[in-house]
Amino acid sequence: MSQTTALTDTGSAPADLGASEPVLAVENFALTFSANAPANLIDGISFTVERGKTLCIVGESGCGKSVTSLALMGLLSSPPARILSGTARFEGRDLFSLPEREKVNLRGNGMAMIFQEPMTSLNPAFTVGHQIAEGITRHRGLPKAEARREALRMLEWVRIPAAAKRLDAYPHQLSGGMRQRVMIAMALANRPRLLIADEPTTALDVTIQAQILDLIRHIQEETGTAVILITHDLGVVAEVADRVAVMYAGHIVEQGSVSEIFANPQHPYTIGLFGSIPSLGRRQGQLATIKGAVPPLDLMPKGCRFAPRCPFADRRCMDEVPPAAELAEGHSVACWYAPIEEKMGTRQ
Amino acid sequence: MLKLTLRRLLVAIPTLILVSLIVFSLQKLLPGDPLLTMAGEERDPEVLAFLREKYRLDDPFHVQYLAWLGNVLTGDFGRSLRTGVPVSTLIAQKLPVTLQLAVMAIVLALLIGIPAGILSAVKKGTATDYAANVVALSGVSIPNFWLGIILIMVVSVQWQLLPASGYVPPTENFLQSLRTMLMPSFVLATALAAYLMRHTRSAMLGVLSSDYIRTAKAKGLLPKTVILKHALRNALMPIVTLTTLLFGELLAGAVLTEQVFTIPGFGKLIVDAVFTRDYAVVQGVVLCTAVGFIFMNLVADLLYVVINPRLRHPQ
Repeated sequence: MSQTTALTDTGSAPADLGASEPVLAVENFALTFSANAPANLIDGISFTVERGKTLCIVGESGCGKSVTSLALMGLLSSPPARILSGTARFEGRDLFSLPEREKVNLRGNGMAMIFQEPMTSLNPAFTVGHQIAEGITRHRGLPKAEARREALRMLEWVRIPAAAKRLDAYPHQLSGGMRQRVMIAMALANRPRLLIADEPTTALDVTIQAQILDLIRHIQEETGTAVILITHDLGVVAEVADRVAVMYAGHIVEQGSVSEIFANPQHPYTIGLFGSIPSLGRRQGQLATIKGAVPPLDLMPKGCRFAPRCPFADRRCMDEVPPAAELAEGHSVACWYAPIEEKMGTRQ
Repeated sequence: MLKLTLRRLLVAIPTLILVSLIVFSLQKLLPGDPLLTMAGEERDPEVLAFLREKYRLDDPFHVQYLAWLGNVLTGDFGRSLRTGVPVSTLIAQKLPVTLQLAVMAIVLALLIGIPAGILSAVKKGTATDYAANVVALSGVSIPNFWLGIILIMVVSVQWQLLPASGYVPPTENFLQSLRTMLMPSFVLATALAAYLMRHTRSAMLGVLSSDYIRTAKAKGLLPKTVILKHALRNALMPIVTLTTLLFGELLAGAVLTEQVFTIPGFGKLIVDAVFTRDYAVVQGVVLCTAVGFIFMNLVADLLYVVINPRLRHPQ
C-alpha cells in the first residue's frame, strides 16, 4: 500500500523512486457496463507490474481479467463501459485520464497486447509482413522498405522458420501457433515496456503452448518488458509468473509472489483454486473443489464477493468488504479471516 | 489470374448458349404475328407467303435457331421488322447512352452509399445512424419517375440549373453531356445508394466487431486506418456483389427514368420493340443485356479474387 501511495504523488516525491517505480500501477480501479447495474463488474482493484517481471492475473472466466486488460489498453468501447474510479499509472501517466490521441500513440508502442484467439486476430486481407510493418511505420515513421526489413527481423526473433518466405504469407496460410508468434512479433515490434497477454496459449496445442510461453519469457529476459499474463491455467502461472494476482468476481482477493501464493495461499478462494493440485500436499478436504458458482451481479453480496461460496463465511463477510491486508512482504489478502489457519483456529 | 479469367470465360459459354436459346424460343412462344404488321393492311396471302419464305419461318425450329445464332456470332442481329434498320446499328446507337447513364448512376450511388453506410455503422445507434437510415428508406421508397418530375420542375424549370431532358454524346460536348445526364443518373442512384448503404452498414458492423479489428486498434492505428483500411477491405465482398448486380440491372435500361428525361437509351428501345412486336430488336437487346449481366458476374468473380487472398492462395 505504502508503495502505491507514494506513486500517486510522484510530482512531489524525490527521484529516488525511479529504480523501483513500477511500469504500471493500477489503483482502486472500478468499472461498470451499465449505469444502473446492481454491482460493479470490476470493483476497486489495485496491482503493480515491474520492469522485466511477469504478473499473472488468474481467476475463472467472467471474473474480469480480460475486461481489466482491455480497459488498460483503452480497447473497451465506452459506452457501454464506464470507468467509475481509479488510476492506472503507466510510466507515471494515468491511462484512464489520458486524452484519446495520446492513448492511440501509446497503444502498440509503449504498451502492447496479444490475444487469446490467434486464428481470428490477424486481418485475413493483408500479409503478415504488412501487418507487422504497418505498426512500425505508424509509431516510428520508418519508410516502407525499412519497416519491412524490421518486420522480417521480428519474425526471425519470434523464431518463425523460413521467416523471409512467411513475410508475404497471408494469415490463413499459417498454423495457430505461427499466427500467435506473428501476433507476438507485431506486439513487440516497437519494443513496448508493457506487454499484456490475454490467455495467449489457451487456443493452442500443449506443445505449442510451451513454446509460446518459452518465447515470451525469452523475449522478456532480452528486452526487460514487463508482462501481464492473464490465464486460468495454474500450470502456466507456475512456469512464468513472478507475481500472482488472484481475481474473483471483480475483486483481487489475494496477490503475492508466485512462491508465496503456491506455498502459502491464504484466501479461501485461492486455496480452493490451488486445492486440486496434488503436489501442494494435504489441504482441508471440503475446499478441494469450490462449490456453487459466481453469483450474478444482482445477487452479489455487499461484502466479500466470495462469501456465498466460502465455507468460513459469516455475517460480517456478507456485509463488509474485507480490506487487503499485507500478511508478509508483498503478500496481501482480502479476507476477514486471514491468516486463515490462525483465525480459524481461534474461532473453533 | 489469367488462368482464372480464362476459366471463368469458358464457364460463361454454356450460360450464353442457354440464354440465346431462351431468347430465341421466347419469340416463337409469344402470341401475335409480326408478319401481319409487315404485310400491311391488305394482308395479301401472297405477300405473307413471300415473307414467310424470306424469313424462313417454315423451317424447323433448330434450323432457324442455328441460322440465327450463326448470324449473331458474326455480329448480325438481323433488321428491325418495322424500320428495316439493322439491329446492330440500333444497339450501337443506344448502348453508349445506357452505358453512360449506368456508369454515372453507379458511381453516384457508390459515392453516396458507401460513405453513408460506413458512417452509420461506425456511429451505430446515434442520431447520424438513424438519419442515414431514414434517408436510405426514402431513397428506396420514392418512385423514380416522381423524383424525376420533381427534379425537373425544381432544378430545371425554377432554378434553370440543368437541362430537363435530351441527350448529348460525351464525344460532342463532354461537360454538357455530364450535365444532361446528372439528374437522370441521380434519380437512378437514389435507390441504388440506399441498397448500397444498407449492405455496407451491415457488412461493416459484422467486420467492426471482429478480433482483427481489435488487433488493429491495439496496434495503435488511427481510427481512419482501422475503419477505411482494415474494416472496409473485409466488408467489400457483399458490396462488390451488390454493385455488379445493380450495374447489370442498369444495363437493361431504366425504362421509366429514360421516359421521364426523354433519353434515347436501351429502356426506350426495348419497350418500343415489345409494343410493336419487333422481334429482331427484342432478341438483340435482350441478348445484349444478358451478355452484360454475364460479363458483370465475371467482373465480380475476378474482383473477389483481388479482394480475398484466401481465393488467390489456397492453403
